[in-house]
Amino acid sequence: MKLEIIPWIILFLPMLAAAGITLFTLKSRDQSARLSIGAIVLGFVLSVFFIAVNGWGPLKMESVASWLEVGPLQVDFGLRLDPLSLLMLLIVTGVGGAIHIYSYGYMHDDPGAPRYFAGLSLFTFSMLGIVLANNFLQMFIFWELVGLSSYLLIGFWFERPSAADASKKAFLTNRLGDFGFLLGILLIWDTFGALNFSAIQVELIRNPQALGALATVVGLLVFCGAMGKSAQFPLHVWLPDAMEGPTPVSALIHAATMVAAGVYMLCRVFFLLDASGSNALEVIAWIGGITALLAALIAVQQNDIKRILAYSTLSQLGYMVLAVGVASPTPAMYHLTTHAFFKALLFLGAGSVIHALHHEQDIWKMGALKNKMPVTFWTFLLATLALCGVPPLSGFFSKDEIIAAALNPEHGSVWLFLLTVGVALLTTFYMARLVLVAFFGSAKSHEAGHAHESPKVMTVPLLALALPSAAGGFLGIAHLYGKQLGQAHADYHVLAMAVSVGAVIFSFAFAWGLYWNAERDPLPEKIGALARAMRDRFYFDELYEATVIKLQEIAAAMADWFDQWIIAGLAVRGIHGTTELFGRALRLVQTGNLQTYAFLFVLSVALLLFFVL
Amino acid sequence: MTAGLEHYLVVSAILFCLGLLGVILRRNLLIIYMSLELMLNAANLAFVALSRFNNNLDGQIMVFFIITVAAAEVAVGLALIVALYRKRQTAHVEDLTLMKL
Amino acid sequence: MTLALIVLLPFLAAAGLAFLPRTDDTAPRTVAAGTTFVVLLLAVRMFWQFDTGQAGYQFVVIIPGLGADALGIQCRLGVDGINAGLLLMGAIVAFAAVGVTRDIVRRQKEFFLLFLVMTGGILGAFASLDLFYFYFFHELALVPTFIMIGVWGRGEERNYATFKITLYLSLGALIALIGLIALYLQMPPDQRTFDIPAMTQYFAEHRMESGAQQAIFPALMFGFGILVSLWPFHTWAPLGYGSAPTATAMLHAGVLKKFGLYGLIRIAVPLMPEGAKQWLEVLALLCLGNILYCGLVAMRQKDLNLLIGNSSVAHMGFVFLGIASLNLVGVTGAVVIMIAHGLLAALSFALSGYLFHTAQTLEIARMGGFLKRLPFIGTALTMAMLAGCGLPGFANFVGEALVFFGAWKTYPAITGLACWGALLIGAVYMLRAVRSILHGPLAEHWNQIQDVPHAWAKLPFAVLIFTLLLFGFFPRLLTEKIRPSAEVVVQLANREGDIRTRGGQGTIAAAAGSISKSQNRRLSVPPHPGPLPGGEGQGENSRSESRASRPRTGAPVSDPAQTPVSKESRRIGDRRSEVHGQGERTIQTSRRVNTAGEAAPRQ
Repeated sequence: MKLEIIPWIILFLPMLAAAGITLFTLKSRDQSARLSIGAIVLGFVLSVFFIAVNGWGPLKMESVASWLEVGPLQVDFGLRLDPLSLLMLLIVTGVGGAIHIYSYGYMHDDPGAPRYFAGLSLFTFSMLGIVLANNFLQMFIFWELVGLSSYLLIGFWFERPSAADASKKAFLTNRLGDFGFLLGILLIWDTFGALNFSAIQVELIRNPQALGALATVVGLLVFCGAMGKSAQFPLHVWLPDAMEGPTPVSALIHAATMVAAGVYMLCRVFFLLDASGSNALEVIAWIGGITALLAALIAVQQNDIKRILAYSTLSQLGYMVLAVGVASPTPAMYHLTTHAFFKALLFLGAGSVIHALHHEQDIWKMGALKNKMPVTFWTFLLATLALCGVPPLSGFFSKDEIIAAALNPEHGSVWLFLLTVGVALLTTFYMARLVLVAFFGSAKSHEAGHAHESPKVMTVPLLALALPSAAGGFLGIAHLYGKQLGQAHADYHVLAMAVSVGAVIFSFAFAWGLYWNAERDPLPEKIGALARAMRDRFYFDELYEATVIKLQEIAAAMADWFDQWIIAGLAVRGIHGTTELFGRALRLVQTGNLQTYAFLFVLSVALLLFFVL
Repeated sequence: MTAGLEHYLVVSAILFCLGLLGVILRRNLLIIYMSLELMLNAANLAFVALSRFNNNLDGQIMVFFIITVAAAEVAVGLALIVALYRKRQTAHVEDLTLMKL
Repeated sequence: MTLALIVLLPFLAAAGLAFLPRTDDTAPRTVAAGTTFVVLLLAVRMFWQFDTGQAGYQFVVIIPGLGADALGIQCRLGVDGINAGLLLMGAIVAFAAVGVTRDIVRRQKEFFLLFLVMTGGILGAFASLDLFYFYFFHELALVPTFIMIGVWGRGEERNYATFKITLYLSLGALIALIGLIALYLQMPPDQRTFDIPAMTQYFAEHRMESGAQQAIFPALMFGFGILVSLWPFHTWAPLGYGSAPTATAMLHAGVLKKFGLYGLIRIAVPLMPEGAKQWLEVLALLCLGNILYCGLVAMRQKDLNLLIGNSSVAHMGFVFLGIASLNLVGVTGAVVIMIAHGLLAALSFALSGYLFHTAQTLEIARMGGFLKRLPFIGTALTMAMLAGCGLPGFANFVGEALVFFGAWKTYPAITGLACWGALLIGAVYMLRAVRSILHGPLAEHWNQIQDVPHAWAKLPFAVLIFTLLLFGFFPRLLTEKIRPSAEVVVQLANREGDIRTRGGQGTIAAAAGSISKSQNRRLSVPPHPGPLPGGEGQGENSRSESRASRPRTGAPVSDPAQTPVSKESRRIGDRRSEVHGQGERTIQTSRRVNTAGEAAPRQ
């Protein structure tokens, strides 16, 4: 067997699992779970094997099959293997695998479990497709498929109107981003006549001015796609609502798959964003920064444990996008990796808590879970510390690189730097609030008082994820990415480190003062309207409801009115009516009286004769 | 003075017009029918006259045709009228509106 | 022979059905199911044996006895890449349509008789190479449509819908007829022919007067356009489909409607390039009416059938856009959408028919939570809706993507708006329908609704979904067949510019010649034309080789043994392969090289 076939197997295993479940094992929960888990775990093992045999390379291996070719349009179905995609392969199958196993416990009692596992496998397949894609259209295809799988999984409990609405919203918001992405792809194809990443890169190196005046436009259009998937401002609204799905799905979306796709894509096509004459990066940096700040502010005033984590994801994604924007894709991917570990861990921990509390998600109804759920608590705490950037946990290293990159002289600025520091402050604050309220203090509800640790099948994945979350900084991940994407800037590291550690300490002390043993949130009384705005997510949903959605509705109503009254009414029925009117008028002549006919007949003959003679 | 072609044709035209007026104005089926015959005979007269003055027998043959057809027609038509009268007790056209909308 | 059987079998079955006693309840359905199944098998066989990579007509057969020699009318059938897929799609839809006729309870014999006539007419219209039969079969399929809607239709507006659809379609067909007759009269009396390939060749060699083109093209464009519900002549479609019995709606929306598009691609565009240049710009604008406007209208529909009907009108816009783009990618995409949408429309109407059957209503607001009670139908409906908003994996995506890529070169702004229609407006109404019909809580009174009872009843849906996925995953199954034929169409349509250059004439003659040549060769081996020499198992071969042999304009017409190949052309031929070895993939290159290569032996 040739080595080349292994990535293909890894890619298609989950799809086969999904197809197998849909076709054959919809009745059996256990078999479905086995298929789905087996596929991804085998994928992980194969990935490790492949990397062990083949090495990380500076190999640029592409294995290609033609998918579609019509004249000038050549679309390959190819796999691109380089450090970037191989590492992502490990993350997706590894973190995803842990989540799959965890799901087996979490979804134990749900009658729809086979459907769930089919969706999970489809999700994995789509994400692997994005990771391995070697051209734009293939990426777009899997891009859409990720949207589809998120739609199916967020709306898994479709009987709940909120879940059904959330899934619809997620899909549509993503579609909005995809619209830009598709236009970008069309422009790229128009310019380069190719869709393959390396072909475009080669062409761009050969002729840096190839894009000309369109450079910025193309960059921003492609970024639109990332904006949708990675939930960047102003398309961030779907992500918090996506919490309506089962918690492991949230973990999957937030850690290993969907939202990672956007950042991954930006790094994959970084050469395009960085093309000469393009100002796209600047916009990207600021959008990332705004998203990070906005989400962190909102997270401070959320009470739903999953929503807090969701906004925290948003905020961290903002970090990554910002890193890409300051021309430092390596820190971005680095943070993406470590974030995948600890965010998956956080979500699975939250899921464990929710599971133990019979689907109670309000942190103000938890409390004192520290001793009742020790494994969950300690792993959750570890992940929290990693997220806040406490040395020597993984998050510290990656975050520090981003903060340092924000200061780099070429693309960064002091303002961006201050933004990142502010977000770091807020991150520690809301995470400390979450941990202090949910795990310490007194039990604030009956369920919290009688909580129990989750079963082994759920705690083992927690422990498995805790390991890389803690030690992720020492695995040389940044070095691997650096090989492909260029090393991060080495300056300012000490400053960044000092600032971020300082931010953690300061912010944690502040949170301790407010929330230690607190029964209610003291913040709203102190800052009033701002807290309300934070709680209500700065009214973005309402704003969109009133503008974008309303506009489209009005357009639809107008079109419908026009269709009904002008085209079908005035035009069609008008012609119909005129014809009928003529018919009725002519009918009057038709008296049925023979003598009248005879008279008319004679009259006509006489007239005819008169004119002819 | 001898009667020329014009005189015959004028008589024929007058006869025709009388018949036509009868068809249009009279309300009794029987009268209408007789007026119809009048028109036919006006045509016959014209045919014969033209035949005579053109030295061509075609016109007279035509007249025989017309007389034959008219006889057949009278037979069928009168039978219809009688049948109608028996059924409806009237031979007035204005009463015969069965097929009108 | 295969082709003759495909077209004639439904008619024979219909004739046989006429002699059945009226009281028999099961026989008509069985006969229809059996016939369509055999037709489907034959169509699959035809599709499988189709010599991929050839531009000329294959399986050409003349049905003796039909036609009038004195008038130059022959019932000549044949397929090339463009209609091979359409025929297969028609056969699949017809087979699936019989499977969902449980709403027909009275006058079964008459229904299935008409159904078979309609099926035969549709397949005949797509297979005909004779202008007369091309039109005749279409009308033959239309008449049963009207009767079926009027007699077996549903809803209060049934009569109005029947009137409307009859008048609209008759008008469209009439305008197209006028155009076709005018086209026919453009040929000198002694050369007049109804044979479409011969006409194509004639007009490729003799330039039609510009004024005539400007006048005839719009007649065909609007005539055919009305048949395909071109905006603003679209209002018959949603209403008609809403009132039609399921099987009729499937056949008409899925297959018969494509006749107009097929006519545009087959006749209007290649025969009248100058008219096309001018008027296709209008078409490109009007297609926005389909895509955006009808998409928006679909958002407001309260009845599922009207929604599907409007969305089907909207999808036609993409085909128009593909045709209007007038390049290989766009036209290929248009044909792919025609096939994909045929399957999709059939699937959607079959599903809505099932919903109506079990819930007795199609009012979207009254339904909800059906996925719980109808797992199979619900899943299929979700898939249909997602396919409708252009999700990858389904054949529709392939077609739409091709159209966008093709049209982008010609009409960037319109393509951008069309993308908006495809990605957003489509998604909004499709997902809204899924949300309100399938998701949400299930109301008490819906507990009586039933999912598909057994595996056999699932078959029609499964067949349609399977085909959609098959072509979505492996689009080359379609595109490789379509491409050579589409290339001929595009070259003929773009010849105006080429005529001025020296080699241009040669290309066109070659392109048109390839049509008639391959056809003649086919004809010389009656009754069933075997595969090309060395073309056994051509599917596999050409697929692996196609990269090397891409630039062939259709059939390899020039036989090196007979025509002395000059050194010049040999050299160019070598360079051709060299050029493609380097991966130069612009169409201009391949055409230029090709021109010299094909034209040289003729000098």
